Amino acid sequence: MYKIFLYTILMISYLGLSKALSPSEHGVQYLQNARAFSKLIKGTQSTVILIDTHATGFLIKTYYQKYRVISGYENVEELIVRTSKEFAKKNMANMGLSLYRKSDTDEEFLPLPPGSLYLGNSEFGEWKTRKNGKTYWKFNKVFKNFPKYLGWGKFRPDMDFFQQMRSFISLHQTYYGPNNEFGPQGKITRENFPQFFREERMKKQNIRTLMIEYFKENF
Amino acid sequence: MAEIFDRLIIRILLAAFVCIMIYLYRYAHVIFYPTVKRQVLKKINPAENPADTLHLFSRLVGISIIFSSITFNESSGVVLSLFHFGVWGSIAIVLYLVSLFIIESIVFYNFDYTDEILKRKNMSYAIISFCHAIVIAYLTRTIMMEAENSLIILLVLWLYMLVIVGFSVKYYTFISKLTFNRLLIQKNMSLCFSYGGFSLGAGFIIASCFDQEHYDITVYCIQVLLKTVLSLIIFPLFKKGLVKIFPIRMGEDRGLSGQIETEMQSIGYGFYEGSLFISGAILTTMIVNRIQFGTIYPFF
Repeated sequence: MYKIFLYTILMISYLGLSKALSPSEHGVQYLQNARAFSKLIKGTQSTVILIDTHATGFLIKTYYQKYRVISGYENVEELIVRTSKEFAKKNMANMGLSLYRKSDTDEEFLPLPPGSLYLGNSEFGEWKTRKNGKTYWKFNKVFKNFPKYLGWGKFRPDMDFFQQMRSFISLHQTYYGPNNEFGPQGKITRENFPQFFREERMKKQNIRTLMIEYFKENF
Repeated sequence: MAEIFDRLIIRILLAAFVCIMIYLYRYAHVIFYPTVKRQVLKKINPAENPADTLHLFSRLVGISIIFSSITFNESSGVVLSLFHFGVWGSIAIVLYLVSLFIIESIVFYNFDYTDEILKRKNMSYAIISFCHAIVIAYLTRTIMMEAENSLIILLVLWLYMLVIVGFSVKYYTFISKLTFNRLLIQKNMSLCFSYGGFSLGAGFIIASCFDQEHYDITVYCIQVLLKTVLSLIIFPLFKKGLVKIFPIRMGEDRGLSGQIETEMQSIGYGFYEGSLFISGAILTTMIVNRIQFGTIYPFF
């Protein structure tokens, strides 16, 4: 009994010491849920886009997410955080979407296509009507690189997109674009965030394939 | 040809210098064991007292192990290389002997060298002392290599190593069924093989904990501490597992009560425990040091 007690104390000490002293425990912040973005994101007019997600561990998984943080008047940053299992699983379907937006006055947590914060904001751009009669969003010259940062590629939102997005917001529903262009199944997201959708990461391997690859590599 | 011959001369010169350092060590040994002055400074008769011979020459093996960690850099000049070896060799001799003195004072706190080795010719004591000499040498060698010619780091690591070794030798009473002090008085050989296995195993584990890359001394010391605690968690698992895999039969199984004590004192039981300790320790080093968990960065 005494030995079991001593062994338990030893294990608790190890876990405690590792947690307190290990350098790997420092530097990566923890995100319990979307509400925790408020403390994490300092700048205003900011949008946080989920660009990658990864889980490590065998029995007890640790979940990491990588975000691109675009602030209106600051440099674009990439941020890696440790998240809760629920938050990570929930947002697997929101890859490439903006999970958090912070304007001067308000905060939004509903997943939406990236750049939704800036649409209709005259500080960032304006609606322009083309020859075909359709009205598209155009960023001001200062923000000309925003479509690249937001992962739009050649896509430019039009007024229909904007109206549809607003109706989804009023219903508190996630919006993936008129033809599901955004999100893990969306063409635009797949083209502009290729790292997550790399073939080798998407491939589900069975034990036979793994064994063949192992023998090829080692013998 | 001339260049090759020159290099050969340098090697012979360095070999002679190492011999001089070992000769110096012989006198340094007398500082910590003044009672052996007569034996050490005169010609030694190995047949007269095998325990004393083993005790003395185990130190020679130890100091050779430590010297093997010092490198000669001939490109910086022969004289400077010899000076470097002289300085670091002298430091090694002092640290080694002080370490041995401290560890043996902890382990043999009830025993006296003169009584056990010179008068009683206790081979069990000599073999345990031999194992200490090898283990301390191996650990001193490891920290000298980790210190990378920095005296401050060497001193910090040496003190740290002494603390860990000091605690580890006390761990023996927790995991062995043999009574150390009583059996050592009885010159029991079972004890020396069991304890020998334990101390060599502990040496392997501690050396593996120290053997890692370091850029910052604080982070390095933290990593060593964590690995040591982790080893303390893993080692009993292997010890229990190996006992379950290789169960032994003692007196009580055969219905002969009172024989357990006698059989535990047999040399076979000493071999058994010693082997368990060494194999458990080696496997522990594998679990602690050889598992690569990787990082998240290849993915991110």
